[in-house]
Amino acid sequence: MPFAPVLHAEWIKIRTLRSLLGALAAILVATAAFSALAAADADGSDPLFSVFFGVSFGQIAAIAFGTTAVSSEFRGGALRLSLAAVPDRGRWFAAKATAIALPALAVGLLTGFVTLLVGRAVLGTAAPGWTEGLRGAVGCALHLTLMALFAAGLAAVLRSGVATLSVLIPFLLIVSFVIGDLSGSAADFLPDRAGQVALHSSWDGALGPWSGLAVTALWTTAALLAGAWSVRRRDA
Amino acid sequence: MTSIDVRDLTKEYGGRRAVDHLTFRVAPGRVTGFLGPNGAGKSTTFRLLLGLDRPTAGTATLGGQAYATLREPLRRVGALLDARAAHGSRTARDHLLALAASNRIPARRVDTVLEETGLASVARRRVRTYSLGMRQRLGIAAALLGDPEVVLLDEPANGLDPEGIVWIRTLLRRLAAEGRTVLVSSHLMGETAAFADHLLILGRGRLLADTPVRDFIHARVRPHVRIRTTDPAALGDLLARHGHDASRDEDGTWTVRHARVDDLGRLMSEAGVPVLELAAGEATLEEAYLDLTAAEAEFTAPHQEA
Repeated sequence: MPFAPVLHAEWIKIRTLRSLLGALAAILVATAAFSALAAADADGSDPLFSVFFGVSFGQIAAIAFGTTAVSSEFRGGALRLSLAAVPDRGRWFAAKATAIALPALAVGLLTGFVTLLVGRAVLGTAAPGWTEGLRGAVGCALHLTLMALFAAGLAAVLRSGVATLSVLIPFLLIVSFVIGDLSGSAADFLPDRAGQVALHSSWDGALGPWSGLAVTALWTTAALLAGAWSVRRRDA
Repeated sequence: MTSIDVRDLTKEYGGRRAVDHLTFRVAPGRVTGFLGPNGAGKSTTFRLLLGLDRPTAGTATLGGQAYATLREPLRRVGALLDARAAHGSRTARDHLLALAASNRIPARRVDTVLEETGLASVARRRVRTYSLGMRQRLGIAAALLGDPEVVLLDEPANGLDPEGIVWIRTLLRRLAAEGRTVLVSSHLMGETAAFADHLLILGRGRLLADTPVRDFIHARVRPHVRIRTTDPAALGDLLARHGHDASRDEDGTWTVRHARVDDLGRLMSEAGVPVLELAAGEATLEEAYLDLTAAEAEFTAPHQEA
């Protein structure tokens, strides 16, 4: 079976569910709004993060998007219908992941640029430079996409949206807000911490912006491989 | 044309055997009824046929090919497994459009099958607003989407109103007349006999019968006569003298098998045995079927699912 029709089908499934479109919109709104609020109250120590502070909130919407797109297959025998149409399970899951990644990346880029423009307007002279700002915008897009895919892979392993969100959301809240300011530890290598280095003007841990995103990409790859393995191995 | 071939198919779930060395062939051009009580293994067999579950042993092929090796399978095989498969927040049309896209089936087929299943007027409504009968029709629409040679329907009459039952009967007859291979499961014998040409009867994962419907009726549906009298003992003597196969129930009523009311009435009148009631009975198809599956069902654990 060729890949394009399968991807087309998975894209139709995403664009015809209102909750998924809502989650995509929430990525943009939550990131931009919380960033603007943070920027208005910035102390100037980390101009780039003052602009992209809201990504911590936007990534929860990205996770909801990736989770829901996969978990909708695990209710009422929907997966059986999908796999009866596309018996090549590896190809089916690859199409599903691609159909999640492309809109997440597009919305992520839009979010990055909108947030950057809003942040620069709010911060005025304290704003980060364009080079740094663009790195932040692209990093923001990649980070959000990777988090959506990470959640998608986990949802395929756990076969449940509720289970996936109840693992990921407390995990993010704990990591970001409880041990958030401690760096230079193993926590730097956790998926959301590593990716977010790209949103800072300076960093003092082992990871830089791109190596941080690469670490998050490794986590995401692992989650997607585990998801693919689960979809291929288990009875539908 | 494509036939379904199942050979020595076995599926175990944690030591429990849902399907037990099943072997049968489903021929094209007729409707084959797949009958069995709940938990007999019908749905499991369907999942194995579609490559959704991995068999413990044995093979299931469609036209000689395993389902998983088919290119664009919806164009060859259409299946209804579960009417709940469509997401409640999607419209029926979007649900079918996504399925169609995956197998490069043109979008106009979506409108054709919606028309055919009587859903055209509600096609743009969300599935969550549908009744069970309408979801069932949507499941059938999905099965017909690719104009397939093989049609597998798991309990398609579930939740349909009487009009819907007549509709599905007509549809199944038409699909078979067009030369397609049609396998339809049910746990109701009467319903199945109304549309099937051939029967596969399953009990506890094993094949109990593989027979044309007509033969099943001839072999298993037998007439009997029920008699009530004021003098059961005298009647018993009389029946025994004339060599009738008769038995006495606890309430004193006699049941005589393979006999006709006309003969027994005359006989009792000549012998002077008083008659309170004399009635012809015909064991229904349902009873014949229950007879066959009773022995199997007796050992069926109550928690088994379909």
